[in-house]
Amino acid sequence: MNAYTWLTPFPPRLPIGDAFEAFNRWLKSNFAPVFDVIGDTISWLVNLLSSFLTEPQAAQLTFIAAGIIAAALVRPHRLPTLITTGVVLALYIGQWLFGLGNLIVNQLPAPLFLWAMGLFGQDYVDANLVIALGFLIALVVIAAVKQTALRRAAVVGGGWLAVILLGWLAFPAVPDLIADSTAMLMVLLLSALALVVAGWKLSLFSVIALTVIVGIGQWENAMSTLSLVLVASLIAVVIAIPIGILAAYNAVVSRIVKPVLDLMQTMPAFVYLIPAIFFFSLGAVPGVVATVIFAMPPGVRLTELGIRQIDKELVEAGEAFGAPTGKILTGIQLPLALSTIMAGVNQVIMLGLSMVVIAGMVGAGGLGSQVYQGISRNDGALGFEGGIAVVILAVFLDRLTAAITSNSPQARAERSAAS
Amino acid sequence: MPAVRATNLYKVFGRRAPKAVELLSDGRHRDQIKELDVTAAVIDVSFEVEPGEIFVVMGLSGSGKSTLIRMLNGLLPPTSGSVEIDGSDITKLSSRNLRAVRSEKISMVFQHFALFPHRTVLENAAYGLEVRGIAREERHQKAMHALSLVGLGGWENHVPQQLSGGMQQRVGLARALTADTDIILMDEAFSALDPLIRRDMQAQLLELQATLGKTIVFITHDLNEAMRLGDRICVLRDGRVAQIGTAEEILNDPANDYVAQFVEDVDRTRVLTASSVMEPPIPVINPGHGPRAALRTIRENQTTVAFVVQRDRRLVGLVSENAIGEAVRTGAADLNGTVETTIERVHPDTPIAELFQQAATSPYPLAVVDDEGRLVGVIPRITLLAALAPPENGEGEAAQGEQEADPPSEEPPPADEPRTDEQNEEETR
Repeated sequence: MNAYTWLTPFPPRLPIGDAFEAFNRWLKSNFAPVFDVIGDTISWLVNLLSSFLTEPQAAQLTFIAAGIIAAALVRPHRLPTLITTGVVLALYIGQWLFGLGNLIVNQLPAPLFLWAMGLFGQDYVDANLVIALGFLIALVVIAAVKQTALRRAAVVGGGWLAVILLGWLAFPAVPDLIADSTAMLMVLLLSALALVVAGWKLSLFSVIALTVIVGIGQWENAMSTLSLVLVASLIAVVIAIPIGILAAYNAVVSRIVKPVLDLMQTMPAFVYLIPAIFFFSLGAVPGVVATVIFAMPPGVRLTELGIRQIDKELVEAGEAFGAPTGKILTGIQLPLALSTIMAGVNQVIMLGLSMVVIAGMVGAGGLGSQVYQGISRNDGALGFEGGIAVVILAVFLDRLTAAITSNSPQARAERSAAS
Repeated sequence: MPAVRATNLYKVFGRRAPKAVELLSDGRHRDQIKELDVTAAVIDVSFEVEPGEIFVVMGLSGSGKSTLIRMLNGLLPPTSGSVEIDGSDITKLSSRNLRAVRSEKISMVFQHFALFPHRTVLENAAYGLEVRGIAREERHQKAMHALSLVGLGGWENHVPQQLSGGMQQRVGLARALTADTDIILMDEAFSALDPLIRRDMQAQLLELQATLGKTIVFITHDLNEAMRLGDRICVLRDGRVAQIGTAEEILNDPANDYVAQFVEDVDRTRVLTASSVMEPPIPVINPGHGPRAALRTIRENQTTVAFVVQRDRRLVGLVSENAIGEAVRTGAADLNGTVETTIERVHPDTPIAELFQQAATSPYPLAVVDDEGRLVGVIPRITLLAALAPPENGEGEAAQGEQEADPPSEEPPPADEPRTDEQNEEETR
């Protein structure tokens, strides 16, 4: 008789919520260091990106310019490019750990730097900038000597010079004309990115729409949201694509993954925030974690679909010529699935953006907290401005990733076939 | 040593495959093991392909030919039986060694070309060597050579979608040639092409094979194609081998009703050659004989003409009864002046389709003469006509036994040529 008491009255109270809570407690008490590392990494990434987007450093811009040129050089001239990159990385690590760069700069004769410091109104020499400058110059020299990627080197180098002159000389010189010089510089840079990736239409849109964000005073919030979304999407994609590949290769994995993804997508997004705060406390990190979980499913699904829908004969052709599985994956399946995978990445970013307002509730900052403040203070103006900025970011990111999709190898081949 | 040897190959899909193989090895039809819920694609197939041979596997959709060819390079592991490539059994190889065999010994051409759309024609052609780790310059150079062999020089920087179907399949062929393997598997390689291009490609394949001497296993559902290309043909039916033989053997001596029905509508005139229909050259006379002897020989054989050959059987010409009668009456001492030397001569390998014109214009039987000019046979017009009729005797007894063992079979096989696109699609799964 006693044995049945826990079943009556039927149905009994099931302690599922308590079990979930207990499981979380167990996880946290046993794996606390793991969560700390994850949390620190995420917050470091978000801060790095958002500080670059709101206050770009000349050294960072220089390094990016050098990276773009290096990407074009690394294939045809592997050795010199890799050696240069290696030396630069070693210098950076030396500067980061022991202030090696500062040491070297102090050894060099002062007149080398004085004119530039005077020109840009600086009162000290940034060793990172010096290293990055050396990197950029070395790569331009390699490109010039080897006569490769000359156009790219010229455009990027010239663009870099223009940005430095605009951002550090021209804009600050006319404070009455340009109110927020770094913000406007960033608007121009993002528009240039749009121009390269998606053409002049999106570029024009970006100039206007992003200036509107600056105009409504939401630039810093927008950039903090952008960095949160980008970091969350990056993590989601890095996790989603391997799972998608596994699911495409293995029917069992696929059968297990599907219901889990359904659960992740249909669970109300707020629910993720509670354990996220429990593990990572308030701030941007739980916002990112909840966003990753919420936004990941389409990345997995579309990766699996993209690989599965490739003509079986093509994979067979790879096998018939003796290609190992890894080479079939990287040489045939991923390139051909790329447009579908990029559609998934697009979806991940869009879902991530839709999580932003919710993440604002846990102190993730950015536009989400603006909207949330608008709600709590009954401030319609603030809420609307935050909302408009989210929409502009969404359109910008959506068109940008869509353009990357149409640059996939398959799409390029089809275009050249049509022409 | 044969280049490819398949021994008692079985491929059965389904969980109870071993049991199915056991039952099928007793000679059961695959419809008789339906309760096992398995799909028996290939049943007890054995054959050998000699180096430098074009071996055609022919069958309708569902006859197991695509499954069979995929077992030859290990894309599908057989349920039972063995596949030997150059004497080594590939069913026992590790996946690493199997890949090595595929990249070094066997390449493949696919029905729907299977070109990589994101690579240029050149990169597609060089794929086999790229997999093998050959340096870029060398593999591109070899790929260029292969592309020029198939007549695609100048197209190397296009992408496959820019090419027509026939050209795409040439790229597929070039990809197999660049891999420089001795064996090439061709899975319905020309079936997706329209008939005119298909004929071109067949001719080109024969030409390439003659110069390069590759061993080719060719899969097709088109009997005319099989007859045209194949040194030997293996006819598959419901997963089993119905007959293996040369085109002429299959045409003139079909092993059973099924094959007989299959070959019924074949254009026999393109398959049969002069040597397969010719008759022994009787009577022949020596140029040294006198007219009277010649006349007697002709009358003894109850014909109207006699061929004149030298001692080494070299053909001199032909004499007719009338001309000899005239010579006898005028009392000529020898045959000089009565021998017609401008008669029609044909080579033994000429398809009989090309003989009709000559037969129609010549009043005499055609003389079949080999490369050395020796008379090997004659073809009277009546023989030419008889060759067009399908064989009537012979197939009867052979087919009867088969007929009883078989469950009532569906349709008689449709003819070769009118294959619809739906059927092609079915086969591609």
